[in-house]
Amino acid sequence: MEIQQETCINESLYDVLVIGAGIAGEESALKLADMGYRVLLVEKEPSIGGKMILLSKVFPTLDCAACITTPKVSETARHPNITILTLTEVEEIVRDTKNRFSVTLKKKPRYVVEKDCTGCQECEKACPAIVNDQFQFNLTARKAVYIPFTIANPRVALIDIDNCLLCGACEKACPSNCIDFTQKEEQLKITAKSVIVSTGFKLFDPIQIERYGFGRYKNVITSMQMERQLAPTRPFNNILRPSDGKVPDKIAYVFCAGSRDHTVGNPICSQVCCMYSTKQAQLLMGALPMADVSLYYINIRAFGKGFDEFYEQAKDMGAKYVKGKIASITEKENGNLILRYEDIATGKVTEKEHDLVVLSVGILANPGITRVFKKERLETDALNYIRQTDLLQSPAITSIEGVFAAGTATAPMDIPDTIMSAGAAATETSSYLARLS
Amino acid sequence: MEAKQKTIDIIKQTRKAAPEAFEARKLYLKMRKAIAEALKDEPKTIPQVAEATNIPIGEATYYMMAMLKFGELSVNGIDDMDEYYFYELKKA
Ligand SMILES: Cc1cc2nc3c(=O)[nH]c(=O)nc-3n(C[C@H](O)[C@H](O)[C@H](O)COP(=O)(O)OP(=O)(O)OC[C@H]3O[C@@H](n4cnc5c(N)ncnc54)[C@H](O)[C@@H]3O)c2cc1C
Ligand code: SF4
Ligand code: SF4
Repeated sequence: MEIQQETCINESLYDVLVIGAGIAGEESALKLADMGYRVLLVEKEPSIGGKMILLSKVFPTLDCAACITTPKVSETARHPNITILTLTEVEEIVRDTKNRFSVTLKKKPRYVVEKDCTGCQECEKACPAIVNDQFQFNLTARKAVYIPFTIANPRVALIDIDNCLLCGACEKACPSNCIDFTQKEEQLKITAKSVIVSTGFKLFDPIQIERYGFGRYKNVITSMQMERQLAPTRPFNNILRPSDGKVPDKIAYVFCAGSRDHTVGNPICSQVCCMYSTKQAQLLMGALPMADVSLYYINIRAFGKGFDEFYEQAKDMGAKYVKGKIASITEKENGNLILRYEDIATGKVTEKEHDLVVLSVGILANPGITRVFKKERLETDALNYIRQTDLLQSPAITSIEGVFAAGTATAPMDIPDTIMSAGAAATETSSYLARLS
Repeated sequence: MEAKQKTIDIIKQTRKAAPEAFEARKLYLKMRKAIAEALKDEPKTIPQVAEATNIPIGEATYYMMAMLKFGELSVNGIDDMDEYYFYELKKA
């Protein structure tokens, strides 16, 4: 009750600030909002949904990712107790004298009046400026004014002002009159009684491993690029090689690209790569029945519920698992790739030709958020994830009282574990708020 | 309504478009013209378009996929080997 009364008095007072609107942030926000708390959910991208909204299907059930995540995203967006700010980052968080957090936010301009945009895309049609589409991981292009992707939420246009030609065509074309180039960056001040950090993970950039040829050879792509190719909102008309548009028929996966590798500073297992590669192999064999899919691995980690069966299912479908360490990848004139690898069982160095190579890139910590906490230190662990000070009993607790962590901000994990972690963060937060009042 | 339509003029008083954005536009126009010319009589695969236009095949793929996304091209079947799709100019 007290929560509601305070809310009425001060519009900028929130019970919880949730930073990062991936599946972890959404789940924590929804749980707390359902308990009656007032939540501010802040997301730096133009859409909520995090990485999950960009996935094809999910292991081990092969449910369509969009079908699972879209209802959750809509529920979050519509919940009366949740306020969402997209294109927004936290600049500073300081504890005030009332044991609350005084928060400074920076909201970038969208140059589109969000409430008036119908998502009709007339502006996109009129826009002459083209640029790499970051939501398709640069496999194709987009316009300078754009809707991030079909199932974006909010499904509203924005202008990439750095790549805009300032021609005004979008403003002329917009039937709703909602393009507004006078919008400016805003600084907002709010107060929150508690904070959940759910800023997720970063993807390993395989350009660091020169011998894989990523960035030099067009047909060496990342697993995230393959996720997009397998998703219904794909960049091409089918699964195609980026070098020449050929339908691939000899596809290789290179496991642990940037995981369990001291030389790139990431010695740990990313938890999800074995299984997402196994998922993609199954989806590829379904979509391209003639395709031959080989997966080069060091060890298979199929530890979760249903994972081993999922791995066996891929083998039964024809996926070839090769226990081999990749020494190098070289490109032939026709764009095919020669994988040179050491067969771990025999010690023999062997070469094999493929026409598309997918690097199963690892998950890395995203510790930038720690810098916004002033006077108190949000500690990280040896690998830069948010340090869980009581990992075994209360995994959401961090080094700052009243600040909790959820999802892959704390460690690599899959979606079910992320949801459980978000549930734990919501529970810890609600008991902290109960203690406060 | 009139007042709102001028917001582009307001931003132009304090901001200039980046030269790289114009370069990207120029390149796209050049590619698009060459690709459209190559496709004006019949559908072609990406390697066929690359050969007809002398555009490096990787770039031809990128720009043809962009044109497909922007609704300027459509798919017209696949070759006998089931390897390369044919693309055609979208009929108005
Ligand atoms: C290729 C690939 C395939 C996968 N497939 C599967 C699968 O099939 N099944 C499965 O269970 N798992 C899968 N996963 C793992 C899954 O993606 C993660 O478990 C899940 O996305 C984690 O969610 P999260 O909310 O913790 O992080 P994220 O999805 O990273 O969300 C974090 C959010 O925080 C935002 N953010 C970051 N910093 C800030 C900031 N400073 N301010 C504001 N916002 C910020 C980000 O923009 C993002 O929206 C896959 C992962 C990859 C890489
Ligand atoms: S900005 Fe205007 S033209 Fe663009 S999608 Fe929104 S309503 Fe349509
Ligand atoms: S003003 Fe910018 S965003 Fe709008 S149509 Fe022109 S280039 Fe595109």
